[in-house]
Amino acid sequence: MIRTLVFMVLLTCTLGSCVVVKEYEKVAINDPDMLLSEQLCDRNLTTMHSYREAAAGANGGKTGGGCGCN
Amino acid sequence: MEEKLAAVVGVIKLLNICHAQYALKAKRNYSIPNNKPSFLFMTKTKINIALLFFLTSFQVFSQEQVDTSQDYKKRVLETVEVNILSSYYSQDGDNAAVTGGKGTEELTDATGTIIVSIPLNDDDVLTIDAGVSAYTSASSSNVGPFDGNNAADPFVASSGASSADTWANFTVSYSHSSDDRNQIWSTNLSISAEYDYFSVGFGGAYSRLFNEKNTELSVHGSAYLDTWNAIYPIELRPFEPTGNGLSNGLFLDNTITGNTNYNPKFIPFENENRNSYTLGLGFSQILHKKVQGSLSLDFIQQQGLLSTPFQRVYFADVADSFIENFQLADAVEQLPDSRFKVAIGGRLNWFLNERFVLRTFYRYYSDNWGITSHTANFELPIKLSDKFTIYPSYRFYHQTAADYFRPFEVAVSTENFYSSDYDLSEYVANQLGLGISYTDIFTKAHIWKFGLKRIDLKFYKYDRDTAFTSSIITAGFNFEVY
Repeated sequence: MIRTLVFMVLLTCTLGSCVVVKEYEKVAINDPDMLLSEQLCDRNLTTMHSYREAAAGANGGKTGGGCGCN
Repeated sequence: MEEKLAAVVGVIKLLNICHAQYALKAKRNYSIPNNKPSFLFMTKTKINIALLFFLTSFQVFSQEQVDTSQDYKKRVLETVEVNILSSYYSQDGDNAAVTGGKGTEELTDATGTIIVSIPLNDDDVLTIDAGVSAYTSASSSNVGPFDGNNAADPFVASSGASSADTWANFTVSYSHSSDDRNQIWSTNLSISAEYDYFSVGFGGAYSRLFNEKNTELSVHGSAYLDTWNAIYPIELRPFEPTGNGLSNGLFLDNTITGNTNYNPKFIPFENENRNSYTLGLGFSQILHKKVQGSLSLDFIQQQGLLSTPFQRVYFADVADSFIENFQLADAVEQLPDSRFKVAIGGRLNWFLNERFVLRTFYRYYSDNWGITSHTANFELPIKLSDKFTIYPSYRFYHQTAADYFRPFEVAVSTENFYSSDYDLSEYVANQLGLGISYTDIFTKAHIWKFGLKRIDLKFYKYDRDTAFTSSIITAGFNFEVY
C-alpha cells in the first residue's frame, strides 16, 4: 500500500513536470530575471571564480584554456 | 478542413436515414413498450455520440497538420545589439604561489569588453566579442624581486616587468536558427594573447527544443590549443642548460645568505603546449508557469604544460638560501601533464510574484587531481519598480585540496609532483553580492543611434577562510542600435 502511494506521488510529480505551458502563459517564464544562465554583467565575476577556484564548468563560464590559469 | 467536416456530417445523416428505415421495419415485426426507450433509439444515440467524438478527435489531429508555411516567423534578433561590460577586481592575501605559498597576493585588474550582436537575416546572428584585461600585481612582480630599490621581500612588491600584464581576447560566433525556432546551431572561434601565453580556441553547439518549447536539449564542444612562453623565477634562469649558475651576475651582485651552496632542482619544461577540450550536455525544462530549471554536465580534458612556470616551491629537506629577505626557489611547481574534470550543475528559477524572483544554482565538481567541490548560489531579484531591480546574492564554495598540493615548505625533493598554489588547497569561501539594474525596454534614452536598454551595476565581496579576500565591481550597458 505504501509502495503504491509512493509510486503514485512520484508518478504525479513526473507527470506534473511534463505540463505544457503555452506561449501566451509564459509571461513569468520570459521575465529577464528568469533566464537559466548567468547575467551578462556577471561574466567577469564567473571568470574570476575560474581563476581563483579549482572548480570549473557547468555554469556557462570558462572550463579551461584561453589563459594561463588553472 | 471544412470539406472533411461536411463529409463526416453527411455520413451521420446517411446513417440516421438507414437507421430510421431499419427501425421502421423492426417496429412492424416487434412489439415495443411506449414508456421505455427503444433499444434502437439507444443504439442510434450511441452511434451519433461515437461519431461526434470521432469528429472532435479528427479536428484535434487535423490541427497538428495545418500548413504552417505561411505562418509569421519572428526574427531571432530584431536589431543590432551592443553590450559593454567592465569590471574592477582587487584581491589580497598571504599565500602567494609565486613565492612558494608565503607572500603578498595583492593584485588589481581592470577589464573592458564589448559584445556586438548583428542579425544577418531572420535566422542568423553574428556576434563579435572583444575584451582587454590589464592587471598589476605585487605577487607576480616577485617573479623578479631584485630590482635594487627596496630589499627583496615576498610581502613587498618589486618594480620588475612582471608586475603588470595585459590579456586581450577576440571571439567571433555565428548562430543559425531553424524556421520553427526549435533548432539552433552555433560555432565560434577565439584568439587570446598575453605576454607569456597565446591561445586559439574553437567550438560549436546544437540545441533542440521540444514540447512547444517547454523542453530543451543541448550539446556543446570546444577546444583550446594554447602555448606558454615560459617565464621562470629570476634566480632559476642561470641554472638552465646554457646558464652559468652561481657565476651569473645576479649572484655576484647580491650576497646569498643561509645555504650558500645554492643548487635548485630545475629543468625547464620541454613541452610548452597546453590543450583543453570540453564536451557539455544541457537539459532545461519549464516545470510550471512560474518555475523552470536546467541541468548541465561538462567533461573537460586538459593536456600539456599544466604547471605555472613561475610559481616557486620550497623543499622541507633542502636548506634555505636567501638574498636579502627573499628565499630563493628550490624548484618550480610540477603538476601532471593531464587533468580530467567533471562538473554537474543545476539551476532552478522561481517567479515568486511580480516583485520577487528566486534564482538558485548548485554545482558538484570532481577531477583526477583529487579535488572535489560544492558550489551553491542564491540570488533574489527584487523589482522596486518597472525600471529598477536590486539583486542581493549569496554564494558558498568549498573545495578539497589537490593530491599534489603542499603548503609552504612542506614538499620534499624526492616527490614527482608538488605545488604550493593555495588555489589548489582546501578552503571554504563565502561571497556576498548586491546589485542594481535599470531597464528601459522602450529605450527612451539614447546616444546618437544607440538606445539604452539596460544598465547593471553589481558589487561582490569574496572571502576565504584563509587570509585571502577579494572584491569586484561589475558594470554592464546594453544598447539597441536603430
